Amino acid sequence: MTKIPEVWIFAEQQLGQIEPTVFQLLTRAREIAPRFKVVAVLFETPTQHLAATLAEYGPDKILVVQDPRLAQVADAEQATLLAHLVQRDQPNSFLFGATALGRSLAPRLQAKLQTGLTADCLALHFEDELLVQTKPSYGDNIMCEIVCPDKRPQMATVRPNTFAAQKVEPDRSRPELEVVTDLPWPEVAHFQIIAEKKVATPQTGLSQAKRIIALGRGAADAASKTVARSWAQKIDAQIGVTRPLTDGGGFSVKDQIGQSGQTVAPELLFCLGISGAVQFLSGITNAKVIVAVNPDPQAAIFSVADYGFVGEANGFLTALQQVDQRKQAALK
Amino acid sequence: MKIVVCIKQVPESNQVKLDPVTHNLVRQGVAGKINPFDRHAIQAALAIKAQVGGEVIVISMGPADNEYCLREGLAMGADRAILLSARAFAGSDTLATGYTLSQAIRKLGAVELVFFGRQAVDADTGQVGPIVAEFLGWPQLTLASSLTLKDRRLEGMRRLGDLEQTVALTLPAVVTASNDLNQPGYLQPRMIKASFQQEITVWQETDLAADPLRLGVSGSPTVVRKVMAPQRKQQETVFLATDPQQAALDLHAALHAKNLI
Amino acid sequence: MVDLTAAQLMLHQMVREFSEKEIRPNDMAIDQQRFFVNGIYQKLIDNGFLGLMLPEQYGGAGFDAIATAQTIYDLAVGNASVAVTLEGHYKTLDQLLKYGQPSLLERYLPSANQRIFAFSMTEPSGGSDHSTLGSTAVRQGENWVLNGNKIMITNGGLAEVYCVLVKTAPEEFSVFLIDQNMPGFKFGKRENFLGLTGTPIAEIFMENIVVPADHLLGKVGQGHEIGDSAHADARILMGAVAAGIIEHELEIAVAYAYQRKSGQFRLTELQAIQRKLADIALAKETTTLLYQEAAALKQQRRPYAEVAAMAKTHGSRQAVRAGDDALQILAGYGYSLDYPVEHLIRDARALEIAEGTVEKMRGEITKLEVATRI
Repeated sequence: MTKIPEVWIFAEQQLGQIEPTVFQLLTRAREIAPRFKVVAVLFETPTQHLAATLAEYGPDKILVVQDPRLAQVADAEQATLLAHLVQRDQPNSFLFGATALGRSLAPRLQAKLQTGLTADCLALHFEDELLVQTKPSYGDNIMCEIVCPDKRPQMATVRPNTFAAQKVEPDRSRPELEVVTDLPWPEVAHFQIIAEKKVATPQTGLSQAKRIIALGRGAADAASKTVARSWAQKIDAQIGVTRPLTDGGGFSVKDQIGQSGQTVAPELLFCLGISGAVQFLSGITNAKVIVAVNPDPQAAIFSVADYGFVGEANGFLTALQQVDQRKQAALK
Repeated sequence: MKIVVCIKQVPESNQVKLDPVTHNLVRQGVAGKINPFDRHAIQAALAIKAQVGGEVIVISMGPADNEYCLREGLAMGADRAILLSARAFAGSDTLATGYTLSQAIRKLGAVELVFFGRQAVDADTGQVGPIVAEFLGWPQLTLASSLTLKDRRLEGMRRLGDLEQTVALTLPAVVTASNDLNQPGYLQPRMIKASFQQEITVWQETDLAADPLRLGVSGSPTVVRKVMAPQRKQQETVFLATDPQQAALDLHAALHAKNLI
Repeated sequence: MVDLTAAQLMLHQMVREFSEKEIRPNDMAIDQQRFFVNGIYQKLIDNGFLGLMLPEQYGGAGFDAIATAQTIYDLAVGNASVAVTLEGHYKTLDQLLKYGQPSLLERYLPSANQRIFAFSMTEPSGGSDHSTLGSTAVRQGENWVLNGNKIMITNGGLAEVYCVLVKTAPEEFSVFLIDQNMPGFKFGKRENFLGLTGTPIAEIFMENIVVPADHLLGKVGQGHEIGDSAHADARILMGAVAAGIIEHELEIAVAYAYQRKSGQFRLTELQAIQRKLADIALAKETTTLLYQEAAALKQQRRPYAEVAAMAKTHGSRQAVRAGDDALQILAGYGYSLDYPVEHLIRDARALEIAEGTVEKMRGEITKLEVATRI
């Protein structure tokens, strides 16, 4: 009897919170390997109980290692524990989020297992049991398709937010649960975690901001600014402006995006009441997802936007905030 | 203290394109340079040396012209440079590279601290540091944003997402430097000139007591099957519903699925 | 195109990065505030720019003429005033190295790693025509006593050491080194110039400044030759400044024309714009070839004064014209004081005057052609 190949996903967590990339990887693994067994590998302390959260994203199995010492654990210790599990179950593939931890841990495990690891993948698919991994090089200017033909597991770290996470219907997810409590603990000498604390993302400048709300002439009225500020606070975004708004009204040249201002590269950019002059567009070429709101359907900003709403910024943003409040309330 | 910094030579510019006919990489400008992240690693090593004395040795693996990045390391203030260069090393992936570097570090002997940059700007893996740490059996501090040495105890911080970790390691150890660790200055013209007066040691596989099966192509489990130009996604704007309520609902769902809000 | 050695390449990469990170972001502010804002001047000193071409024995890096010209080019791409300030310093050091007496060089050149040296010929009565000079040096025992007024000195006020061209007898000209710390040395007013506004251009007064005999460069009566030599060295670097300005203009014009659409076309797809962009690119290339050729000739110890004059004559006009083309491509933005194109034209315009007017240089080029052919 041949064993069903397993795709493992390391369920990275920080202080009891599962890293969102894990959900994205679980979703993607189910899509690209419908016939394989998708396994979430979770390290937790006996009091954390994070398996239920993982189950919402439909893994076939959750492999939990529980140990109080996992509260504070060295990279090398985690790598050794994972190596034990891999040697026991021989998975086909092992995926990690390309987070700071994933990128620290996966290569140590790779070295232990003497297998291949592809960094920061943007696309994954299977050809039979061969994992085809696409990774960017040269600052995303080149894509490389990489395979690991002879060694198993096939390992990859995957760039966060590359795939969308999708929960499964609650009654359709009944993952098998295995709790391991008796792995030999690999005491790593010479390493000690002194402190861990949650820190807020530091308020960096516009050029470093992950989320930006940009205001143009069409959103320069007081009402639009107020709703933009409150939305910015909610989603932890910074506010930038086009050149016409730099003359007073609470904004200055340091808030300006564009050729004579700052070049930005946020993951999410709202462009409100901005027509999309060349001077502005040249400053946002590296923005990942752009949402444009403008009453003029012909506005140049729509040609670079991922999502467009033809209308006034104030009304749209107010509606968006209401939706967000309802969703937040529903979560509680 | 004997401190090693592993560095890489990268193309001068990341503006590489694929030749549409041959599918070979077309690099703009033939020149190479030190991987910019590695300058933080060298700077960190120099700071430790300034504190406790000893020497800073820069090591790079690659073809003969990679001595250029080693000279940049010397111009920053490293004491000596070793180039790992041999046909047998060609085609190494991160695993084989990590193995080769760790053998060189063993050969040097009595190394107590090994620094890496956070990743190389061309391949962008950041894997070789942890691999070397594993092969040497040493603890690691990746993405160090601060670092202090007291006696033989290294204390530092790193950011894991929203988590800030303060850790202590006893030497020997491997550290990969984040950009926040320090601010390397510009090379001094005098130091540039002086770096070209220095000898660079070249080691081949025979110098390393290495297992030939773990070097180069044979030691590399991964295979690059294809190199492609990125598919510039045709900018398709999804126009949302004209009703603000519906539009807001749809956008919220879309952004949420992408973990953007 | 000159092939750089590995050391020159490393220097070039460093200077370009310095220029991109430290200078270019301050380009507009330097022009508007008329000085080297944000500590740029101190950064030039701290990063070893002043001693770049000074031999190692004086604490410098000892880079050659090709590397020096490349450096000026790389800095000029960031801001032309910064480049011109170093141009004035380097050409002065060149004359000291060529004509200075060893005892003077040992005393003074180590300090050139930290302070700017300037070369001064012009007086109220005339510019490059030396015959009208009023400043004098009179021998007094072992010393010389200098009197007079020099104007329009590149780096005047910023520089601390000056090489001045004075009369030592009727129709006899000589160059002396003086220091701002010497009794009788006084600074005059700073010029209010149209372009290159970051570089101070100012006057100095000499009132019975007494200098030892070894402050004489070369021999008594060698002043004309030293002046011509300074001009030739300066003009190579001025060609490099021009090429740097054109590169800056090209960068702005291409970026704008590529992004801007007229109807369904990018401006770069329109022939009228293509003509302008191609001309700017051509201007950059020809100017670059000329200054690099002049630097290479100098490095090979072959005659270079004529090609140096060509580099400046050609480059300065091309930089103005290319700026005009760039302004036209950017239209309203080009004409706006909030965007850099207009100041690039003002900066470029200075190059047609400084270090000898283009009219005078055409005269020298013709003279050299006649001398070699007839």
